[in-house]
Amino acid sequence: MSVAKSKRLFAVIAMLVVLAMTVTACGGNGDADGGDGDTADLVEVKIGVSSPFTGDVAALGTGIRNGAQLAIEEAAPELEEMGIKLSMLAVDDAADPKTGVNAANQMVSDSAVVGIVAHLNSGVSIPTSAVYNEAGVVQVSPASTNPALTLQGFENVFRVCTIDTVQGSFAAEYAYDELGFTSVAVIDDSTPYGEGLAAEFAAAFEAKGGTVTSKDKVQVKDQDFTALVTKIRADSPDLIYFGGMYTEAALVSKQSKEAGFEGPTMGGDGLYTQQFVDIAGAANAEGDFSTSIGLPLVEQPKGQEFTDMFEATFPGQTIEAYDTYAYDATMVVVEAIKAVAADLGVEEVTSAAGKQAIIEAVAATNMQGVTGIVSFDENGDTTNKAVTPYVVRDGAWVPYTN
Amino acid sequence: MGAIRNGLVAVNDFFSTRVGRIAFFFVLALITLFLPVMFQAAGNVFMVRIFALVGIYVLLALGLNIVVGYAGLLNLGYIAFYAVGAYAGMNLGFLMQELLKGLGFLGERPENWSYWVLLPFAAVPGVLAGIMIGAPVLRLRGDYLAIVTLGFGEIVRIAVTNDIFGISNGASGLPGVGQTVAPVAGQMWVRENLSFGNFLFSKDLYWYFIIVALVLFAILVITRLDNSRLGRAWVAMREDEVAASSVGVNILTTKLWAFALGAAWGGIAGHTYAYWVGFISPESFNFMESVLVVCMVVLGGMGSIPGTILGAVLITAVPEVIRALAASPLLSGVLTPEQASLVGDYRFLIFGGLMVVMMALRPQGILPSKRRARELQPVDDTILAQENQQLWEAEHKHDSDSDII
Amino acid sequence: MSAELGIIAQQFVNGITLGGMYALLALGYTLVYGILLMINFAHAEMFMFGAYVGLFTLQGLSRIAFFTSSGPALLLLYVLTFLIAMIATGILGVVIERFAYRPLRHAPRLAPLISAIGVSLFLQNAALLWISSRSLPFPVLFEVRTFRIGGASISSMQILIIVTTIVLMLVLDSFVSRTRLGKSMRATSQDRDTAGLMGIDINRVIALTFFIGPALGAAAGIFSGMYYGNIKYNMGFIPGIKAFTAAVVGGIGNLRGAMLGGFLIGLLESLAAAYISTGYKDVIAFVVLIIVLIFKPGGLLGESVAEKV
Repeated sequence: MSVAKSKRLFAVIAMLVVLAMTVTACGGNGDADGGDGDTADLVEVKIGVSSPFTGDVAALGTGIRNGAQLAIEEAAPELEEMGIKLSMLAVDDAADPKTGVNAANQMVSDSAVVGIVAHLNSGVSIPTSAVYNEAGVVQVSPASTNPALTLQGFENVFRVCTIDTVQGSFAAEYAYDELGFTSVAVIDDSTPYGEGLAAEFAAAFEAKGGTVTSKDKVQVKDQDFTALVTKIRADSPDLIYFGGMYTEAALVSKQSKEAGFEGPTMGGDGLYTQQFVDIAGAANAEGDFSTSIGLPLVEQPKGQEFTDMFEATFPGQTIEAYDTYAYDATMVVVEAIKAVAADLGVEEVTSAAGKQAIIEAVAATNMQGVTGIVSFDENGDTTNKAVTPYVVRDGAWVPYTN
Repeated sequence: MGAIRNGLVAVNDFFSTRVGRIAFFFVLALITLFLPVMFQAAGNVFMVRIFALVGIYVLLALGLNIVVGYAGLLNLGYIAFYAVGAYAGMNLGFLMQELLKGLGFLGERPENWSYWVLLPFAAVPGVLAGIMIGAPVLRLRGDYLAIVTLGFGEIVRIAVTNDIFGISNGASGLPGVGQTVAPVAGQMWVRENLSFGNFLFSKDLYWYFIIVALVLFAILVITRLDNSRLGRAWVAMREDEVAASSVGVNILTTKLWAFALGAAWGGIAGHTYAYWVGFISPESFNFMESVLVVCMVVLGGMGSIPGTILGAVLITAVPEVIRALAASPLLSGVLTPEQASLVGDYRFLIFGGLMVVMMALRPQGILPSKRRARELQPVDDTILAQENQQLWEAEHKHDSDSDII
Repeated sequence: MSAELGIIAQQFVNGITLGGMYALLALGYTLVYGILLMINFAHAEMFMFGAYVGLFTLQGLSRIAFFTSSGPALLLLYVLTFLIAMIATGILGVVIERFAYRPLRHAPRLAPLISAIGVSLFLQNAALLWISSRSLPFPVLFEVRTFRIGGASISSMQILIIVTTIVLMLVLDSFVSRTRLGKSMRATSQDRDTAGLMGIDINRVIALTFFIGPALGAAAGIFSGMYYGNIKYNMGFIPGIKAFTAAVVGGIGNLRGAMLGGFLIGLLESLAAAYISTGYKDVIAFVVLIIVLIFKPGGLLGESVAEKV
């Protein structure tokens, strides 16, 4: 063995160690010396944002990042005057629980992160909430609607969106009472969100006296539902209810109409995006229903303001289902930071006590958001239980009116 | 590129010398034992978790290495054993907690002993699943076996997604509403007694050390296996089934052993993962996971324990490290937060490209097995073709009526 | 009773349309396997790539008023779209073979598999990052008519897919069995080195294989886009697994086996979804695969050739 070779080996190992050290350095100290001279006297505070930026539901996930970014950009100047440099730490969770828990750990490893706006999928939010709880950092989910999330007894977990039980039973009652449907075929996409919503809908619909003609499970990423819709057509229910996201729902809508099924497709907030209409085709989607949480953006006092801001910052992009929720969730954390900074002083915001105070401040939130009045009940669920039915008219979702 | 190749060759040569080995193991022990503690002390729980996660994948890759590296059977559904171990561990744990509660053994702060009590048996569900799938299909060769194992992996995933026998709670995963996984015994103790100052002996660090112990145990067992009669039978079978069977190796039993012993580590890894994270759902057990574990074994070097470990470390850690680096202050001066997040999004693209480059540079893996390299390998395709022809003829002597159309 | 029969007939139509796409994709797996004995994991990405090229070509060409002016012009537009997408994807296949697989031709058997997985990850993420993370709607420029026969209905789209698939397969089949190039492909697949000694340019044959397979995959991708109305960066994954299964069921390395396997898996999936369970339809397909292989270890039409990993 030559000396040169062993030197090379140690060079490789040394490189690895240095690499590892630099990664360490990224967490730990909130007083990281990354800033330039002029911002040195500001306390660096971050809000962690995590949702799927890659993968099947990246459209909704990047929407959440967009919403959060708007809120942070809006609040940053005011906080800078208070002596806080606010920024966003956006981490991809790929809609996968394992990656999500990695992302959660990455965010809480940075002691400047005092609040988390995350995740889209309930299946990711539930395991990550344990990480945030252990780290004592507040989590406000903009989009995870599975009831189990806030029933774990964690005092730091909140959400600004309505839970599936509210949305599913609202949709069932609305479909039966207002829309006059008496039989339904229920499909879910085998995700915690879709499964929970579909089960809730089916139970409430049967309780009303309606008939559930069939219950089927499909897989996310499946494209061919022709066999399923042919079977459903044979049962001739009035309506197909789809618990899941827009891609599969749109394909069900498209293929059911092409197979000669006359009834509309209905679903939850996962369908409420223009993508649904684009994929299904405007003719097929016409008359389909969805429910979405909160009141329509145009009816909200801050709705137009949000739309203008969004279009200015992200020209050419469309507002997705959860952008406004992400904006509100981020604002909830921002307001809590302001309150704690005023109470305990800016230096204390990133301390353990500061983070605890932020959790308490979030619990006491009562503010006018883009999605309505935002406040939380004892579980951490939003008290804003408004659900709005939408229908596709002329190729776009519009609030449904008789 | 040439420099990298030379570097790798140098690394490989160096490991084979005495001084090199001692130096290597010293550095390795240092990194394995102290680096996570340092990360924890610096408050970087993310890196601690990555270390523990790497450990789980090392365990999986070591198990699959028995099947792919030693016995030469391509298994594309290995993650199914991991899933079986995880779901069995969780469900048996719930039963045990119920039982203890019924008997009044649980105090005010219930500690979860299920993990430890079930650990010695954690391999059992995996082994059973391995035998169940192995017995009927091990007659199949090469890629036919690969596709059947792929099918088996998908069957298990779909079955748990559909809440089979009511034990998996479907897509929502375990624990479901009303079920809880209490902190595992010992975790609270180390947290209260081994933390000092700013250093917190966290849950992840506790699990990291458990996983390291399991990996060491696996290395010990697998090295012993490799040198045993069974290990030699695997090698003989991998190189030439007909010759192996003619010298008294029972091909079917030998394959079944490989399958079952490989699956055992999948089961143990699954059991450990389930209690560590405290939450399992079908998304964690998809086909891509199986593929990644195969990549770890092949990229590292089939049949080589250090190679397999290195493969697991690289494949698990590289995408995460790319992401963490992008967000670290090292690059924050250069990148805006949006750009950093974008670099994070590019991690799989970079990773895919790296896999192609690595294979072009070292098709036999980064640290290939010494023994495998020593063996007579048909470097020439003509010899391979001849061998195949002979194998084919040997096979068809017995069943001359079948398969010819 | 006749309504029941109509539904069964409908499920057959659904299954055969789906099966046609699987069969086209399965041909690519089986061609490459026949010649190089490798599972070309990146083949699923050819399906995706072809669909994207098809979409962009269609969007670009349909801006030219001529192409949408009359029926024959529209037909020309579609023919051009298919040709361009198939050629582009074929070229991509050849390039991938040249840079990712050729250096590994004498490597251990699993090395090209890993390389292929790397290519697959790279292409999928390239499409995700450089094109779009969303589903892109795939326009249909002609009017889709639905014909009702008894209780069953078949759309002009389904007829188009089934007919084109069968035509492409017949062309491929006669190409391989009749032409000189086809003969050299068969010779190479039987014994690569002897074929080389007989004066066949092995590299050219392999390149040709990597052109034809992805080109057919691209056609399947465009069909998928037209039929389902949208395409996405990860659209190849599930059809890829199914098509690979189909190739194995039929006997991997055997062209007619891949076609048979494709239609069989498509039918099975439809019937299982309709009459057993949508949740378990893929399980049923895999169980049938296992049963077929237990009784016919070389697949339905395949020969049983011994090999090693």
